Amino acid sequence: MRLHSLESRVVTLFIGLLLTVQLASYFAIGNAIDQNARNSVEDSLKINEKILLRLLDQNAQKLIQGAIVLAKEYAFREAIGTHDTETIVSTLSNHGKRIGSDLTMLVGLDRKISAFAKVNNASNMVSDVNLSDSLQQSVSTLIQTAEKSGSAASTAIVDGRPYQMVVVPIEAPVTISWVVMAIPIGKDLVTDMHELSRMQISLLTSEKSGHWTANVSSLEDEKAAKLAQLLPGTDKQINYLPSLQIDDDQYSARILKLAQNAQFNTIAVLQLSISQAVAPYKELQRNLLILTVLGAVVASIISAITARRITGPVRQLAETARSLGAGDYTATIDVKQKDEIGDLARTFMTMRDGIAQREKEISRLAYWDTLTSLPNRALFTDMLEEAITSARAHEKSCFVLMMDLDRFKHVNDVMGHRFGDILLNEVAIRLSAELGAGGTKPARLGGDEFAILLPDSSKEDALDLANRILRSLEKPISIEDQTVDLGAGIGVAGFPAHATDAQTLLSRVEVAMYAAKLGNSGAILYSPDIDKSSQQSLSLLSELRAALERQDFRLYVQPKVGLDNGQVIAVEALVRWAHPERGFIFPDQFIPFAEQTGFIRQLTYWVVNEAARVCHLWKEQGIHLKISVNISTRDLLDQDLPAKFEHILQKHEVGPASFCLEITESAIMDDPIRAFQTLDKLHAMRFDLSIDDFGTGYSSLAYLKRLPVHELKIDKSFVLKMEKDIDDTKIVKSTIDLGHNMGLRVVAEGVENIEVMNLLKELGCDQAQGYYISKPMASTDLPAWLATWRQSVHV
Amino acid sequence: MRNQVLHFYARALAGFAAILLAPGLAFADTQINVSDNGGQAVQDAVVYLELPAGPQTAKSANAEIQQKDKKFIPFVTVVQTGTSISFPNNDTVRHHAYSFSPAKPFELKLYSGKPAAPVIFDKAGTVIVGCNIHDQMVAYIHIVDTPYFAKTDGSGVAKLPTVPTGKYILKTWHPKLPPNTTIQQQSLQIDGNPATVNVKLNYKAG
Repeated sequence: MRLHSLESRVVTLFIGLLLTVQLASYFAIGNAIDQNARNSVEDSLKINEKILLRLLDQNAQKLIQGAIVLAKEYAFREAIGTHDTETIVSTLSNHGKRIGSDLTMLVGLDRKISAFAKVNNASNMVSDVNLSDSLQQSVSTLIQTAEKSGSAASTAIVDGRPYQMVVVPIEAPVTISWVVMAIPIGKDLVTDMHELSRMQISLLTSEKSGHWTANVSSLEDEKAAKLAQLLPGTDKQINYLPSLQIDDDQYSARILKLAQNAQFNTIAVLQLSISQAVAPYKELQRNLLILTVLGAVVASIISAITARRITGPVRQLAETARSLGAGDYTATIDVKQKDEIGDLARTFMTMRDGIAQREKEISRLAYWDTLTSLPNRALFTDMLEEAITSARAHEKSCFVLMMDLDRFKHVNDVMGHRFGDILLNEVAIRLSAELGAGGTKPARLGGDEFAILLPDSSKEDALDLANRILRSLEKPISIEDQTVDLGAGIGVAGFPAHATDAQTLLSRVEVAMYAAKLGNSGAILYSPDIDKSSQQSLSLLSELRAALERQDFRLYVQPKVGLDNGQVIAVEALVRWAHPERGFIFPDQFIPFAEQTGFIRQLTYWVVNEAARVCHLWKEQGIHLKISVNISTRDLLDQDLPAKFEHILQKHEVGPASFCLEITESAIMDDPIRAFQTLDKLHAMRFDLSIDDFGTGYSSLAYLKRLPVHELKIDKSFVLKMEKDIDDTKIVKSTIDLGHNMGLRVVAEGVENIEVMNLLKELGCDQAQGYYISKPMASTDLPAWLATWRQSVHV
Repeated sequence: MRNQVLHFYARALAGFAAILLAPGLAFADTQINVSDNGGQAVQDAVVYLELPAGPQTAKSANAEIQQKDKKFIPFVTVVQTGTSISFPNNDTVRHHAYSFSPAKPFELKLYSGKPAAPVIFDKAGTVIVGCNIHDQMVAYIHIVDTPYFAKTDGSGVAKLPTVPTGKYILKTWHPKLPPNTTIQQQSLQIDGNPATVNVKLNYKAG
């Protein structure tokens, strides 16, 4: 039993309480018994003192009656009347014997003893003993009392021994003499008293306030002597001694003064043994102690059983809770009790069921995708780890396919999220269908990313499945009367070929998937090369950032010339990267990457800022040219773009009319709503807007109508060889007509020879741009070139 | 008060008669007033005049102490020596009169009615009479050697009979005086004129 357990505490509490109560009552009773015994001893002593006094009084009365009989004796009175001394003494002696008086005296009216008879042990009488003064004195005192009250009794000491003495008058018929009788207070009294009360009585005498001497005692002589030593001096007025230790016995004692004269003191000591008085109670107390011990033992057993009845189920509950904590929901509690513990157990079982239910639900939420009811990334990862472990154990391989839908974001944005969700479900169904019943299930990793685990499979199996999936996705999906074309990029990677653990394998397959998407090449098996290129991309990004810091970028411009008069009207701002090691890097090599990573925003900002600076510089030199800047998709999605441009214009004190912002169609199509918002704002700021590369994207005339643009730039692919290709010419002509009909300025780029130049002029194109006019040049070179150009035009 | 007034008249009349009866002779009535030391009148006090000529015994005189209601009546009796006193028992119970007094110890064993013979008290002194079966009964007999004696009444007044002129010793005794005390005495001159003597006893009555 643990010390702090509930059980031990209950038991300890019970026993503690019981023992406290029992011991308290034991001691209280013990104390009460002792006190009671002492009180009763004291009471008993008081009563017995009264009995003793009554006994003495009875003796005195008996003596008085005897004396009265003598005093009434006619012959005795006649003898006194006739002064017949011999007869008198004889009568005294005779009557003394008859009633047991030791001393019998005739006393005259002058209180002098006139005749005297002494009887010793009812034997010979002795007369004419020497009358002690003390006797005469005692007699005189006694008669003095009797003269007032008729007769008297008292105690007196004669020859150092206590006597009871009485006096009665002799009347003939008036008082003519006194009869005095005396009996010793001694053995008879002590015996009587002892037999009557069963208590110890001792008579003690002291001479001249000295030590006490025991005369007669019911005690043994030795004890009586000890008692004499223990008593207080005669001068002390003590009549009760509560505690007196004689040998092994403890007594209480009462002291009764019997007689006293100038020389002697006599007392009676009544003793009762406290030990004896307490003895029956001691027996009771011992029984009580046994009962206490028995009670404590029984209470301990009962409380232990009770505690066990309580703690047993509690312990069982605790154990069940432990196994619950460990995830074992099968443990049951066998509690049949109908009390609170039983309630607790039943509630506990209900709780267990609830927890099991909820855990099931939680794990479902944690491991299953709620939309498609496919395993989610967490479960897929677990499954993959298991598959890898199994494959490793059996020295087999397993493969993972990861798929990302093309243009899903676009669909989601355009058609709404609900539509997107349905689409994802549809994809899930197709994947499942492709995998077949009983086979491995696809998982949805998040967004439009799906993954398929192929345990115990080969590279060929994986690629085959990937291609089948791609084919199944080629079929258009119809949702709510809308038909959607879907494509997907699939990455394939496997254990142990590409990775030895789940996380690495997942990252590898992801790399392969991105490569597939970038390359638009369906399914791609992972190879370290792909990874290398992705690593290169990372280093490229950091180099771009460094370039911006180091100001490695250069602003280049390419002039736009009015076809009507050959005057330079505007320039397109372009960026070149003056790499310290690799030299000049062309935009094709880093712009797509910058767009992909979002770095394009910083780059656009740099270009606009630099253009504004240059524009201001040129104005000071009297050169007024509009500068076109390319704005990417990312830029258009940036809601803060107008504010940033505003800030740049203010900084370099140039107006928005000095700028033309070129936007590609695809940039708008990615998120048309936000793009339109940004464009409307820019338009409101009075920037010129131009549609770049017109004719290559999904040229939607509806958008063209809606867009607040001023200019169309015909894509150079139509312009480059238009003098040889009649179709291109037709497209260019149509585009120029379209632009003009919508009130837009039309610019052709990619003009590389005079023929094209003339053709465009003929077709009514407004402006031309291209190598025929000038290659892009550093902005600083423009003023010089401009001067040369003007001369040539004028020439 | 009324009694005293009557008493006064009676005495006055008696004195007057005496003067008439014995003209020329020096005879006079003598009255003794006895009181205790507190001034209280004392009843049953015995007063008597001792003769200068010596004791004189009566020739024949009788007195009676009856027993009635377990009492001796009278309580105090004064007689001249030689007087016979009879003790008639007028009770239905018997009595046993006795005395251990030295002047006249006697014993009249259980009797009823009149005893066979009266007791002759021929010695001056005090005799205390008791009854052996009735302790409370007591009577005092004071025996004197003179014919001139009297006993005080409830007013403490004793009237002596006619006494010839002469010089006497007046003695006064009372039963309650402590025993063995000397009898109080004083000289008294009888000169034929009525005399009133006040005696104060040295004891406290009541």
